[in-house]
Amino acid sequence: MSFVIILIKGALIYGGLLGTAAAMTLAERKVSAWMQLRIGPNRVGPGGLLQPLADGIKFIFKEEVTPDGANKGIFRLGPIMAAVPAMLTIAVIPFAGETTIFGIDFGLLSLTDLDIGLLFVLALSGLSVYGGILGGWASNSKYSLLGGLRASAQMVSYELSLIMTALTVVALSGSMNLREIVEVQNTGNFLDWHCFTPVVGQVGLILFVITTFAETNRHPFDFAECEPELVGGFHTEYSSMKFALFFLGEYCAMTVMACLTTVLFLGGYSVPFWEDAPWIVQVGTFMTKTAFFLFLFIWVRWTLPRFRYDQLMNLGWKVFFPIALANLLLAGAVISLS
Amino acid sequence: MVVVKRRELTFWERIYLPEIFRGLAITFKKMFEPRVTRQYPEETLPTTEVTRGQPRLVVKDDGNIACVSCGLCEAACPAYAITIDGQETERFIEREPERFEINMLRCILCGFCEEACPKEAIFMSDELELADTTRQGLVYDMKRLERPASTLKPRIDYVRRINERW
Repeated sequence: MSFVIILIKGALIYGGLLGTAAAMTLAERKVSAWMQLRIGPNRVGPGGLLQPLADGIKFIFKEEVTPDGANKGIFRLGPIMAAVPAMLTIAVIPFAGETTIFGIDFGLLSLTDLDIGLLFVLALSGLSVYGGILGGWASNSKYSLLGGLRASAQMVSYELSLIMTALTVVALSGSMNLREIVEVQNTGNFLDWHCFTPVVGQVGLILFVITTFAETNRHPFDFAECEPELVGGFHTEYSSMKFALFFLGEYCAMTVMACLTTVLFLGGYSVPFWEDAPWIVQVGTFMTKTAFFLFLFIWVRWTLPRFRYDQLMNLGWKVFFPIALANLLLAGAVISLS
Repeated sequence: MVVVKRRELTFWERIYLPEIFRGLAITFKKMFEPRVTRQYPEETLPTTEVTRGQPRLVVKDDGNIACVSCGLCEAACPAYAITIDGQETERFIEREPERFEINMLRCILCGFCEEACPKEAIFMSDELELADTTRQGLVYDMKRLERPASTLKPRIDYVRRINERW
């Protein structure tokens, strides 16, 4: 019975994740169009809603090109390494508390309840660097190689700040288990959400959001792609479904990072003024909060220009890292004093 | 050598975040402003008599083509798009084209044929759309070029008005 329940939950959560990723590709084009006073895709289906489907079909029927001199095995491994870790991390995100649907106890609405959930997410999102660098290196192209190198350098620099900021939350809630982190914030009073912890919370939230942008290679930190300098970065030589997998990985990583920000700082599934809300309200709340961050990803992309590479490194090492460290220290002081 | 001094940024600008929020506010506002896109195949640009579209041959009200196949437009055409074969006719004007072809792939819509024509037989219409799957399909023969004078009326009047100026 429990096996069936896990299967159902898995199907729901992964269906939701892939659906969100698909919807994000459409949302990206639609929102960018709206911000530039255009209409955006509107020919496929009502209001262009079936555009992701059309894109998917097109990707499947495209010719797959493997460049001469590419390392075939690793070339194939690249997109997989980009997509799989991003999809795996969703497993530990709790979408709602104890859930009972039609009298069947589903337990916590997440795939697993790992005690080191946060560590799991950070480790796997660190692994997704390999997608870029392996793909970039195996393509046997200078642009791809540079893109891969930049991606890895950037991720390594920003991962540090990301982990430091996540540690702040761990210190505040006293656990690495994502469910417990949410439960600490789920008191019915939304001022208990970590983002409302004076100073530490706000600095943490801003740092975390910005570093997730860098971590998922999004504008204004998308040096791995960087069209004007590197053609397409690490996926220059990729075509067809391999290319689509890179994109799927990127959008899945965005979704997971939005979920993670919600869990760590916005109280996950906790509903303001309603401590033990029914699961459907909790899931709705969670999705609303996540949707905001997903929108933020798009919003920022179509507002800010790309940084220069040295500015990126300066920002990572000389600004974010010290602030993250100081913030962690401050969090420690706050906890030990209270 | 020109040395451009960069303006020193104020502290408010150097911490960057407030400016980012300002930018975000601008893009967010733009989302609700009216769109500027024109849905082309459904919504075409309005055409006037000044619109210089593809050349068309005038068919007079009595059903005869106005062209006397003098070959002036053929000679004036800078892109060599026009091909004319003339033949004799019983009508008063004595000559008419047997074959009048415009290769629309070559035509540059310059309007020289219209200017060259002594018989007001060829005019630039307001038809602009040009698409086909074969090259041969875009060599327009007489049947596809002929238009009754009434549909070309605004353009004819306009050209006459312009010509009166000189």
